[in-house]
Amino acid sequence: MEFSDNVNYVVLSNNADKKFMSKFGMYQVIDVLSFEKLKNTLEMFPSKRVVFNESLSVLSNKEKKEILELLNKQSIHYINVTSNVEDALFGDYVIVYDEDMKVLEGNRDVVLKNEKILKKLGFGVPFVVDLSIQLMYYDILDRVYFDVNNLLEALWN
Amino acid sequence: MELSGLEGNIIGVISEDYKNEDYCGKVVKDIVLKKASDALKMVGLGENTLECNFDDLSHGNQNRVILASKLQDKCIILNNFSIGLTNKDIDFFKKLFKRISGYGRKIVLVDINSNLFFNLVDKVYVLSNEILYETSDMFDKSLSKYIDLPKIVEFTNKSENKGIKINHYKELDELLKAIYRIKS
Repeated sequence: MEFSDNVNYVVLSNNADKKFMSKFGMYQVIDVLSFEKLKNTLEMFPSKRVVFNESLSVLSNKEKKEILELLNKQSIHYINVTSNVEDALFGDYVIVYDEDMKVLEGNRDVVLKNEKILKKLGFGVPFVVDLSIQLMYYDILDRVYFDVNNLLEALWN
Repeated sequence: MELSGLEGNIIGVISEDYKNEDYCGKVVKDIVLKKASDALKMVGLGENTLECNFDDLSHGNQNRVILASKLQDKCIILNNFSIGLTNKDIDFFKKLFKRISGYGRKIVLVDINSNLFFNLVDKVYVLSNEILYETSDMFDKSLSKYIDLPKIVEFTNKSENKGIKINHYKELDELLKAIYRIKS
């Protein structure tokens, strides 16, 4: 697989086993670590591209943001392989797999609007996207939001 | 702290003190020892998984194997079970946990993902050598000091901060109807 420089990817996978992860063989893959261990590893990371295998799934949102800020500071870009659709909100470009088959890919905002496909595959869509889409059916909103604070602003102000 | 002694049938635990047993280098058939085929089937895996190396599996399937190995335990303790699971998987396992609990088994979920606890657990404990906090209410605002709350709870709480009072709905459909009522 080839990845463009300066883009952060989220790969949604429902079965990221060893064979699946071999797609990223040219990059260093980080597995699940505690926040402190992950931070220490990234502080001395030798490459400009890192692959996470569910590494962010064990972190709080605050810790995730801290890790992403650290990567940004060091100009390291990431590929986050995860089953957690909420984490897709942190990426620029999303690639969706069903087992070993690529089903969707594109800019985050475009891919996450594919509600029916993502729900059929079991990932679902992030809560804020799901709520916006449903509120559009009710004619309460006129666009999809990707940040809950922006959604709240549009809804209640 | 002894997790099996905590009060409740299905319990959520927030703690950094518990780790999974080390299954590295093992083959699944050496992990799931009792009624292996049935146990794997129950967690959504095929019999062919028995010959797989644990390390070669995805995080989601590793967690399924660990659960399969514990199905006969009176108290099933799972650590970070939500890793590698999709939302649909989580819904599947919530139903399974409720069914298992009905057979008189206790389930303790040590996890960072509050979505796993939502609409499932009787009680959530925050532990660090001792009980730091406990609640039966996932809408309990104090819980947010220890874990990111489920998105629907976060939305309800943030709406309340803006002066919009919304009941504690647990399903998106109910929340949508409430918003519609408020907006119209």
